[in-house]
Amino acid sequence: MRNLMSFRSTLAALTLIALLISWTNAGYFGMEILAEIAILALLAMSLDLLAGYTGLVSLGHAALFGCGAYAFAVFTAFWGWPPSLSMLAATLLTGLIALIVGSVVTRVQGIFFIMITLAIGEMGYELVFKTRALGGDDGLAGIPRLDLSAIGVDLNDPGVFALALILLVAVCYLLLKRLLASPYGAILVGLHDNAGRMRALGLPVQRYQTSIFAFSGAIAGFAGTLSAQHTMFISPQLLHWTTSGEVLVMGILGGLGTLVGPVIGAALITLLRHELSDLTDYWGLWLGVFLIIAVMGGKNGVVGWLEAGWNALTRRGETSKQSDRSKNDAAG
Amino acid sequence: MRTRVKLGVAVAAGLMLAGGQTMAKEYKVGVLLPFSGVYAGLGSHIENGFKLGLEHYGADLGSDSVTMVRSDTEAKPAASLSKAKKMVLQDKVDVLMGVVSSAVLGGMRDFVHNAGTPLIVANAGNDHMTGEKCSPNIIRVSFSNSQINRPVGTWLAKQGVKSAYLMAPDYAAGHQMMEAFKSTFTAAGGKIVGEAYPPLKGTKDYGPYITAAKAAQPDAIYTFFAGGAAITFVKQYHDFGVKKDIPLYGAGFLTSAAYVHVQGEAADGTVAALHYVPAIDTPENKKFQDAYQAAHGKTGSEFAVAGYDAAHLIVQAIKQADGDEEAFKAALSKVEFNGPRGPLRIDPATNNVVQNIYLFKNEFKDGKVVQTILDTIPDVQDAPNGCSM
Repeated sequence: MRNLMSFRSTLAALTLIALLISWTNAGYFGMEILAEIAILALLAMSLDLLAGYTGLVSLGHAALFGCGAYAFAVFTAFWGWPPSLSMLAATLLTGLIALIVGSVVTRVQGIFFIMITLAIGEMGYELVFKTRALGGDDGLAGIPRLDLSAIGVDLNDPGVFALALILLVAVCYLLLKRLLASPYGAILVGLHDNAGRMRALGLPVQRYQTSIFAFSGAIAGFAGTLSAQHTMFISPQLLHWTTSGEVLVMGILGGLGTLVGPVIGAALITLLRHELSDLTDYWGLWLGVFLIIAVMGGKNGVVGWLEAGWNALTRRGETSKQSDRSKNDAAG
Repeated sequence: MRTRVKLGVAVAAGLMLAGGQTMAKEYKVGVLLPFSGVYAGLGSHIENGFKLGLEHYGADLGSDSVTMVRSDTEAKPAASLSKAKKMVLQDKVDVLMGVVSSAVLGGMRDFVHNAGTPLIVANAGNDHMTGEKCSPNIIRVSFSNSQINRPVGTWLAKQGVKSAYLMAPDYAAGHQMMEAFKSTFTAAGGKIVGEAYPPLKGTKDYGPYITAAKAAQPDAIYTFFAGGAAITFVKQYHDFGVKKDIPLYGAGFLTSAAYVHVQGEAADGTVAALHYVPAIDTPENKKFQDAYQAAHGKTGSEFAVAGYDAAHLIVQAIKQADGDEEAFKAALSKVEFNGPRGPLRIDPATNNVVQNIYLFKNEFKDGKVVQTILDTIPDVQDAPNGCSM
């Protein structure tokens, strides 16, 4: 276990280094891609808390992401609040909405949980799509970025913006890792592995599930405020369930329940999408083939494959005795 | 032997042109169209039209040349914006062309406005983009939502239609189209007896809406539907047998040349208005349709025409610019020519196209739909609507 944790920390450090190296080499467009990767990585990490660690697979996560983005847009563009306050308020508001939604959806489990989150997410999508004050399907423009010129940082520069986002993701990763190492994190994993047993131990299961739903939702909302600042334009597409699906795929490709996996998944999918779509109109097909190959074999995504490779290298001949989290994750 | 002589003449002419023109320039066009997702069909129509336009008009550019870079927008605003940024910042294109969805156009607007690279819009009809949100860099060669519907209100009232029931999908474009019709129709003394806005996605059964419209007993039903929804709606309207009492009118996408053959008999009798109908009888349109049908085996639709005219526009601007980039940008909004759809120019006040709107009737004869033009409303021009460049 310890070995595995340190392996993942190394992997996270390597991912950060890779992102920073590509940042030093990236042109203008590369900066856009890096910013996109960072935002999706944050969103995918927040979903990993739910789907990977707690075992609550949500297909409505994009609605919370979009909620953060739209709240930020309304606060800044309509009401003229400063972006910093708007980011905080939008994050808290999304967290509050996630708390209310979470207290309802955690009453059901498994496939019903997936369906109810899908339904509530689609309600959010339709609401925004039809609200003409929010621009309907034409979306909303005129969203400002956080102004850090007081400390000499110009976020309107694509390079600075991308670097700030990468560093922000690194900080969020460390904070979430700390959270998951706490007793609270242990409870989440316990809920994932055997919710019934946790209940038998006297744990208020639903309350814990609601709390992580709200927390994860708040992070998704925070990622939404960043996305709104990145594109400076938002549309209902952000809330659509296919966005939820894509983020889930990022998690699965990278490795659910590993925290670093979703970051790797976000980077891989975003890059593949941009590279493949330049080569062929049928890029979706090749992305699909790639996903099937990556997920086949029962390993937990890219991180699972790397860990298996690492184990094979370090303890050749030895039988693995550890109670492998990654195996459980793959089952989830 | 003859070909060799011709070739010699061509080469000599080419050399003369090259000698006369000092600044040869390669113009890069960034094509931004959906090649996957629900709008993929429209994307390929526009691209085919654009390529044909380059073939027809780009042949005599002399030492200048046009190359294409293409990107799949997936009809998603965020993805499209990053593709547009790639084209401008990395590929360094001279001009962008395409954009089917208005949401995608909205997403790109601020970037294009600030980046200074012109964008030729080949479909997206949102009024605001050549109205209050207009930009010197956004030039629309397709249509605006209100441009198509505004003339119909007046025209229909003139035909003696006193009351109408409106029906369109519940999204921004649907409402814009209906509002435009409503404003002129009521101004001409017409009355709106009811309106219905079914959900854009997932409406398979228009029965309840058609029944409600029938109950309101209007002189006519006026609609906007496009693509799959248009096919379904027209067929169900036909099946309900409402046609003999209440005729169906609509923005021309209702019975677009792209899919009217699928609607078949159901489209019979429907009257619609659009900026292009394949039936237009001009040499330009014949040349376009002949070449398009020879290459793709189907009728060139209004979407293909938008691509074709976008190419024509770009080529004209290149010729006028004589290798100078700023002159090229300025020329884009000053070009005038006769395209397959008739005379066309860009309004300097809004950068929206000024063009004819055709009212046409669909008739089902001998197993296929024939479209005939009933009336032409010339040079339809949008008011500036708050646009100041």
